[in-house]
Amino acid sequence: MMEDKIRNFFIEKHKADGLEDDTDLFKGGIVDSLFAFEIVVYLEETFGVRIPDKEITEDNFRTIHAIAAMIRRVKGV
Amino acid sequence: MGELKTIKCLVWDLDNTLWDGTLLEDGTVTLRPGVAAVLAELDRRGILLSIASKNEPEDAMRKLAEFGLAQYFLCPQIGWGSKADSVAEIARLLNLGLDTFAFIDDQPFEREEVAFHHPSVRIYKAEECRTLPDLPDFTPRFITADSQLRRQMYQEDLQRNAQEARFEGSKDDFLRTLDMRLSLAPVKDGDLERVEELTMRTNQLNSTGATYSYEELTAFITSPDHLFLIAELTDKFGSYGKIGLVLAEKQGTVLKIQLLLMSCRVMTRGIGSALLGWLINFAQEKGLTLQADFVSTARNRIMYITYKLMQFEELSRDGDRCLLQYNGGSRDLPDYLNMHVSI
Repeated sequence: MMEDKIRNFFIEKHKADGLEDDTDLFKGGIVDSLFAFEIVVYLEETFGVRIPDKEITEDNFRTIHAIAAMIRRVKGV
Repeated sequence: MGELKTIKCLVWDLDNTLWDGTLLEDGTVTLRPGVAAVLAELDRRGILLSIASKNEPEDAMRKLAEFGLAQYFLCPQIGWGSKADSVAEIARLLNLGLDTFAFIDDQPFEREEVAFHHPSVRIYKAEECRTLPDLPDFTPRFITADSQLRRQMYQEDLQRNAQEARFEGSKDDFLRTLDMRLSLAPVKDGDLERVEELTMRTNQLNSTGATYSYEELTAFITSPDHLFLIAELTDKFGSYGKIGLVLAEKQGTVLKIQLLLMSCRVMTRGIGSALLGWLINFAQEKGLTLQADFVSTARNRIMYITYKLMQFEELSRDGDRCLLQYNGGSRDLPDYLNMHVSI
């Protein structure tokens, strides 16, 4: 499932445990501009999309749930 | 496309390129005439040097040490794999674009293999080595104090990266162990060569890709309406040098960032968000609205993402150019970084 794939990416890359779908990724220091580019590249390669500039917002990256919703929206799913 | 960029890294073959003879067959080899001088000169210009050689690593490194040359080479790739793979690995380790790489080898097969897989790498024949310092590709416009320390700084980076790879905790925990200190100070005349070097060389972490003439830069230094700051970063391994620039213009109640730039050597250190965070707080203290010019280039998407994820929003867009505005509150600066601002 998309949410689980995304969660596994964070676990692998950030050694982050216990990430729920609605954990605030910014508060936990999981997403910051350091890491954001890596996340975007990972999402685009894994899900075969190009995330348009207007979808690059804090809200869309705040939780695993938000990221997955954005990807589905971009894919038109 | 525009003119070719200056070479940032030259990758050398060893047998019959750096030295005459084949190490594993001949046992003794002699340096080819003029090579030592070429290495010293390119190093002085801040051009990084590496190796892609099909050889036994220990034997080759021992021979280089005997010649007194081992210290010039970063991330030597010595083994039996393909040279195209070696060049790609060096580019990955140094975080440099392949279009700033050059490769020199005596064998047409090797030159063609690398060219086939990496069309943007510039290829030279072994017999050209003494002419390299005369070529425009190997002649950077400026040689600054930072250029001459470049090799040392990259070596320190590789140490940092190796320590990070071994580190067991989270990224933030690792960054805290580094004892980083970011100093921000107004640009002075003596900084201008480094400023120009940064604007010409920095591609990924560059908000507009704009370059300015010496005259324009000198004018910004004394302009009462401009904030023109240069950032230096140090950590427990040493100094990264002067690695960041901010140019912002005060226009009424707006403070507009005209240029925000960071050397990609500090790309994974959170410096961009620290600089932006400081600017956000500075603008709020002065009661100014913070805006930023942004021009999308082929390489600076990471900078766009940095702005957007720090709550900048697009006010307007015209093709590749857009105007961003900060609409959030004050920011906490990252706790792994000690910021020291003297304005």
